[in-house]
Amino acid sequence: MPLDTSTYILAHLRLDGRRWNELRRLQAQMSTQAAADGSSYFEMGNTKIICTVAGPQEQKSGGGGRSQQDKAKIEVEVNFAGFSGMDRKKRARSDKRTSEMQHTIASAFESTLLTHLFPHSTITLNLHILSQDGSLLAACLNAATLALVDAGIPMTDYISATTVATTASYADKEEEADPLLDLNGLEEQELPFLTIASSGGEDRVCSLVLETKVHMARLEPMISVGLDGCSQIRGILDGVIRAHGRKVLEGKVG
Amino acid sequence: MAPYTNIPLSPAELSYLQTSLSATPPIRPDGRSPTQFRPLVAEADILPSANGSARVCFSDGTEAVVGIKAEVERTGRADVFREGESEGEDVNATGEGKGRNEWLEVAIDVPGLRDDDALPVFLGAMLSEALGADGALRDRLWINARFHWRLYVDILLLSPPLSYPLPLLSLTTHLALLNTRLPALLSQGDEDPLFNDDWDASTHLYPRPSKPSPATQKPPITLLVTTTGPNILFDPSRDELAVAESVLAVSAAPTASGSLSVVAIRSVDPPSRLTAAGVPREINSASGATATASAGEVLAAREKDEGRGVWRAPRGGVGRKVVAEVVKMVVAKGGVGEEVLAGLEGVET
Repeated sequence: MPLDTSTYILAHLRLDGRRWNELRRLQAQMSTQAAADGSSYFEMGNTKIICTVAGPQEQKSGGGGRSQQDKAKIEVEVNFAGFSGMDRKKRARSDKRTSEMQHTIASAFESTLLTHLFPHSTITLNLHILSQDGSLLAACLNAATLALVDAGIPMTDYISATTVATTASYADKEEEADPLLDLNGLEEQELPFLTIASSGGEDRVCSLVLETKVHMARLEPMISVGLDGCSQIRGILDGVIRAHGRKVLEGKVG
Repeated sequence: MAPYTNIPLSPAELSYLQTSLSATPPIRPDGRSPTQFRPLVAEADILPSANGSARVCFSDGTEAVVGIKAEVERTGRADVFREGESEGEDVNATGEGKGRNEWLEVAIDVPGLRDDDALPVFLGAMLSEALGADGALRDRLWINARFHWRLYVDILLLSPPLSYPLPLLSLTTHLALLNTRLPALLSQGDEDPLFNDDWDASTHLYPRPSKPSPATQKPPITLLVTTTGPNILFDPSRDELAVAESVLAVSAAPTASGSLSVVAIRSVDPPSRLTAAGVPREINSASGATATASAGEVLAAREKDEGRGVWRAPRGGVGRKVVAEVVKMVVAKGGVGEEVLAGLEGVET
């Protein structure tokens, strides 16, 4: 069912009442599971994700003898719960979109984790998607950052990610097109959008995924709004991590 | 070479555990009483996209999330005809006796295991068996002669299965089912179902106790019980399972009268069967015995020892008396079952 986004031009309010540059409510927790080396729970609006990290641990034998031995291998497993979407649907493990997501996440973290400190080992990220409502990849990246920090794996910087869309999909109404930050599920179906992940302050992009057609002239404002959103999220993640650290210091958390 | 059992304990450690667990009263490694459960964290109604959901975290770090989704489905034509035959005598609008077990689908996802591995299949069978045992749940899925609800119970184990995860999954499923709500039906009779879109008007799958009728139906719970020597232990930890002589999974559900009744019992193959036996002192060459003992002599010495001196994997089954005692402890008034149910009822949504 196509969605009527034309009302946006009237009041400049989106379907859920946000302005163009507003994020949804972000909530995060760290160390949610005692059995894992690191774990986190991340909520971006109605997108809810639990991430657990196992490792760095000894490489499973037989997996790949040819893999690089001088640094840790990052393995990502994304698991869509059957109840996460609108309709109950089980995704096969070999789903193409899922494996692409896994690859994107793994290669994003290869650039920030200091994997050369752990030769001959694996870091396994398990992402359980409990509820999906847009910005899935971005939420996965944010959740993984928190869990990796909880696991104490050294990294140069956080990875924070968000999505950006543009309101009009055609070349007309050029001057009216607004970039929209942090999409929900409905907007994602309707508008061309990209997922951007950045680390190291504002200007380092470590992952950029664009699967829809978008007018070339819109790309630059979209990226700059995305980077701005990433730095907002980075601030929130930083707050969560600092609050957790304070709790650990006070002995409230094991 | 000792067989690989996933139990990182030596025969000496197993023997020590076994001795302290068979003492009267038993001394459990974490200092609990025989019927005491480990502390757990539980939340219900955590997901907006599911009809019912719950998350339970045991103190050993194992964690499970259950989401329940309900979909309206057209009842097969063959089923309608079968219903039609008896239409003359029962024209009641309730689903009594009309539910089918296949309307309930239980799927278990354990990380690192395939869906058709033995553990998830066995756990799924045990849980759905308990859920299907009292006809009350499947009858509640009946809408009218042409439509019914299909209930998908998706169980997600988020952590590696450290101890046998059955009680964790069962308690989480119980909590999720207790909080499952279905939209209120507006249409009548056999017309196409139309539902109230106000979620506040939805009805609980398991009706909440109200003032006139405090007794209520609740989903079953499955408890894991082990025996060691003369003692019966509830909620065994991983170490306790490693020396258990027998492991029973007891499913109990409250009846209409408010008392508990057992709906299913299964015995689980105890992991202790796979442990390697210790070597008695008389034939242990390390302690000065002659190193020339043949395989036959070793076997004979172990048989003579009968597991008293050194650890030996338990043998034999579980006696009827023990099973009766276990059932009594679960269903008795003020027993373990009631305690667990009361505890789960208090979980805030």
